[in-house]
Amino acid sequence: MSLAEGNEIMNELMVVGGADLAGARAAIERWESCPASTITHHGRLCCRVAREWVFAADYAQLNGEHPLTGPRWIRQRYTWGPSRWPISWCEAVERKTLDCGALAAITHEVFAARGVTSYPAQFIQQYSEVSARHWRKKWEGDEVPTNWISDDLIYHEGCAVVTGGDEIKVWDSSAGWWVNPKQFGGYGGLLALRVCGSPPDVSSFKWGEHRVAPNRWQQIETAPVRR
Amino acid sequence: MKIYISGLYSGTNPQPGVGIARSLREAFPRATLVGVEYSNRCSGIHWPDFDELWLQRPWEELDLDAYAEDIRAALDGGALWISGVDLEIMWLASVFPEGHKNLLTPPPSALRKISKPAVEAHRGLPLKVPTFIPTDRSDWELHAFCRQHGWKVWLKGPYYEAVRTPTWDSFERVRMLLSRAWSTERLFLQTHVTGYEESVCFAAYRGELAGSVYMRKRELTEEGKTWAGDVTEVPEEFTAPLRRMVKELNWTGGAELEMVRDTGGQLWLLECNPRFPAWIYGSSIAGQNLPALLVESATGVMARRATDGAACEEFTRVVLEVPVRPQFPLPSLPEPFPGGVGHSMKHPSGTLALAERLHKMRVIETDGEVHGDISARGNNGNGNGNGNGHRPAARAANTAPAVPPSFLKDLETYDFDEAETPGWLFLDTTAASLFRRASDIASGLTNSSVKVTNAYSIKTNPDERLVRLAKESGFLAEAISLLEVQKALKVGFKPEQVILNGPGKWWPEGLLPKAPLHAVFSDSIADLRRVVAGFESGELRAKIAGVRLRAHGSRFGIPVDSPEALQKLVAAVELLPRDVAFGVHFHMASSNIGVRQWWHLYESMLRWCRSVETLAGRRIECLDVGGGWFPDDWHVDSADQFASAVASARKMLPGVAEVVSEPGKALAQPSMALAMRLLEFERSKDGEIKEAVVDGSIAELPMHFFQPHRILHRDARTGRFNALARGETQLWGRLCMEHDVVALGVELPKDVARGDVLVFCDAGAYDRSMSYVFGRG
Repeated sequence: MSLAEGNEIMNELMVVGGADLAGARAAIERWESCPASTITHHGRLCCRVAREWVFAADYAQLNGEHPLTGPRWIRQRYTWGPSRWPISWCEAVERKTLDCGALAAITHEVFAARGVTSYPAQFIQQYSEVSARHWRKKWEGDEVPTNWISDDLIYHEGCAVVTGGDEIKVWDSSAGWWVNPKQFGGYGGLLALRVCGSPPDVSSFKWGEHRVAPNRWQQIETAPVRR
Repeated sequence: MKIYISGLYSGTNPQPGVGIARSLREAFPRATLVGVEYSNRCSGIHWPDFDELWLQRPWEELDLDAYAEDIRAALDGGALWISGVDLEIMWLASVFPEGHKNLLTPPPSALRKISKPAVEAHRGLPLKVPTFIPTDRSDWELHAFCRQHGWKVWLKGPYYEAVRTPTWDSFERVRMLLSRAWSTERLFLQTHVTGYEESVCFAAYRGELAGSVYMRKRELTEEGKTWAGDVTEVPEEFTAPLRRMVKELNWTGGAELEMVRDTGGQLWLLECNPRFPAWIYGSSIAGQNLPALLVESATGVMARRATDGAACEEFTRVVLEVPVRPQFPLPSLPEPFPGGVGHSMKHPSGTLALAERLHKMRVIETDGEVHGDISARGNNGNGNGNGNGHRPAARAANTAPAVPPSFLKDLETYDFDEAETPGWLFLDTTAASLFRRASDIASGLTNSSVKVTNAYSIKTNPDERLVRLAKESGFLAEAISLLEVQKALKVGFKPEQVILNGPGKWWPEGLLPKAPLHAVFSDSIADLRRVVAGFESGELRAKIAGVRLRAHGSRFGIPVDSPEALQKLVAAVELLPRDVAFGVHFHMASSNIGVRQWWHLYESMLRWCRSVETLAGRRIECLDVGGGWFPDDWHVDSADQFASAVASARKMLPGVAEVVSEPGKALAQPSMALAMRLLEFERSKDGEIKEAVVDGSIAELPMHFFQPHRILHRDARTGRFNALARGETQLWGRLCMEHDVVALGVELPKDVARGDVLVFCDAGAYDRSMSYVFGRG
């Protein structure tokens, strides 16, 4: 998982680029049946207030800018870290820390409330075993599952938003940035992407130079680092 | 091959010389690279890729004619010259108006067409130029530009430097600093574009594009300078028009188009630099060695290509220490000024002095254009080339603000020979027409389902003439204290025409009318409980009870900045009596946040209202909006905007039956002016008046720091009023206070005399109501 806006672990020795094709395939197999996260609703005022607040706050934060502006305020408000699941709207908004699934689920709903077509997106990313060890310890300390970590690979979530026609941009809600479609592998590299949804009239999305079929894990071809 | 490279400053805002040298060293290992610099404080002189150094004295000391001859000799001798300094490039263009085959910099005609901010040459490229306004316009227009763009504006110098100026006082301060620094008033304000910064860098020789790259900034310094980036090919849709542009400009040298890509994908051109950027070696890392391609084009000597597989399209910077060249030991640090902090390293080469010299030589004209053949103007390289010793060469012709005819008509009714100054002038017909117009707009927007009413905020200016005008124009009275309620009643308002709000609305005790008020709005949850208790006890009666919602950036009203706060608000609203209508009130000064921002805030507030309505199960029947409208913003297109706003309100909140609009200072500000007299001034040897003392002061103009005032000078002989343009004279108030400056720079008429009357218009709102007694004994 990305730690773009805090908790960066910089003092580590790491080896990157170790994930081979077989490793990526094994990771895809491992997380094949993992659904994108959703936030539950108690059906009562508590969750209604929470949802209303998120959408109204987002509208205020957008400050009249383009609806495709990434809602970075969410990540600014909530630290990235372990979450207990299932999590409801009223619980999520009161937490100080949310994991990538919760952040992505809220962001997905926020984009939708703005009128932007959004789909949950799942990532497999490579970091390093040292990073993974730190994360594992932190998650175990909070007594929440660590099944999103596998050696130096992690399962991560974000959103894919349609920018026009079949083109998408991919938002990493935990990092507060748009994922670069041009991938080089290495530390933080995106190895595979799955966009969850049933878009009408679209057999595959265009993401940079990639074509991404919905509901299927797709390995992301890396650009050559050296020419 | 010998190549001179200038621009070796390598601080946090570096010049490209070192990057150019690194690139050329890889491409031409045996070339002699000569670093050119104008200060031994520029650390780039110690970069080891330079075989030789040609260290000149700083620009203020250089004999430009002699230096030009030296450069000509070097070029004639076969050496090439690549400049990394914009102003040096402008100067070289004037020295070599027809160019020189070895001078790898653009010609004067090309420099003219890339001058900021319009960058005429950009036409044809797939980009736009952000809206801008030159600062020789009146302050009135500049303030309007800032408001229109939500104060998201940059004040930019003619060559370098751009500073965000989010308030009027910051704008005035920065304008003064930049004008002094760059010896010109020819600055400009440009709108900010939110987005990601990208660049196209290219090299060309005599109109032929030698190469180009696309760079996206991936890390930035605090100053917004590139720290890391990725370099790719320029898209074809950009290359074709770029090639045409290069041809049309007959461009020679490096260049960089600095752009921002907004969220919608639109590219906005910030500027076109006539040289390679400081990150140019990043391009060479990516396998596109543009300095080498430039030299190759100019000489026909093939550059050594980078080894296949050695290129990487992403680059980043690190900080390096290098040994100092023995023949150029470090100079001593200047003595810190007493009590000063640090030692400025800015412009060690005397760039500011070069700007001043170029202005005097008229190499750069007041219109920002670059001119070629300076010999035709009898340049001696050292003096005032315009032959006019009175007016600084770079002084722009400032325009005076337009003044509404009704102001002048109203002023004619005063006898200024007898008028006591400083004194307030009520502009009768102006005020009456403004209130009438507001009333007409409200009537026009009222229909069978919604009533639109104006309210006059008494605090804006409690002058009885204005309060009475409001009453006669069908306004409600908006009060923030019970004293203000009493004022409204005294002028003739009935309790049912009074709105009470604000955090101190119950002060002073005992003055609350027994009859029902029109509306009361709570400023906090505690206040709301008091309102509920008042209704229950019968002490308080009102047709409407509601809440003020806290807008982002305000400290007034009930906050909604967390789900918990929203929940508290919803629970509190449920306590309000059901037999009174529920309303929501919000105010925010549009003049502070800008017009577009205000309208977004309005929509945002409707969104919050809908949430409150839905969650509390209470229909909102009254919406009270407004506050802080700058008159011009409220009066221009306001009817259409308000019609649209009322429609939005009805769409979002179908239960709204009354919209109260509070035009605030839009009506009061133009309705009064302040007259003052010139007490004292002294002319300099050249006849200019730098400072003048007036009998007015900031005690009568407390809003001076927040907004400009249109200033009229009354000709004592004719009685005619003339609006003052910006100029060199500071108007000092009568107070013995350092900050009592009522105008930073105006142009007084040549025949101005002591005792002349100046009228500060636009002083009828908070200038009047917040003025204080000071220095009167």
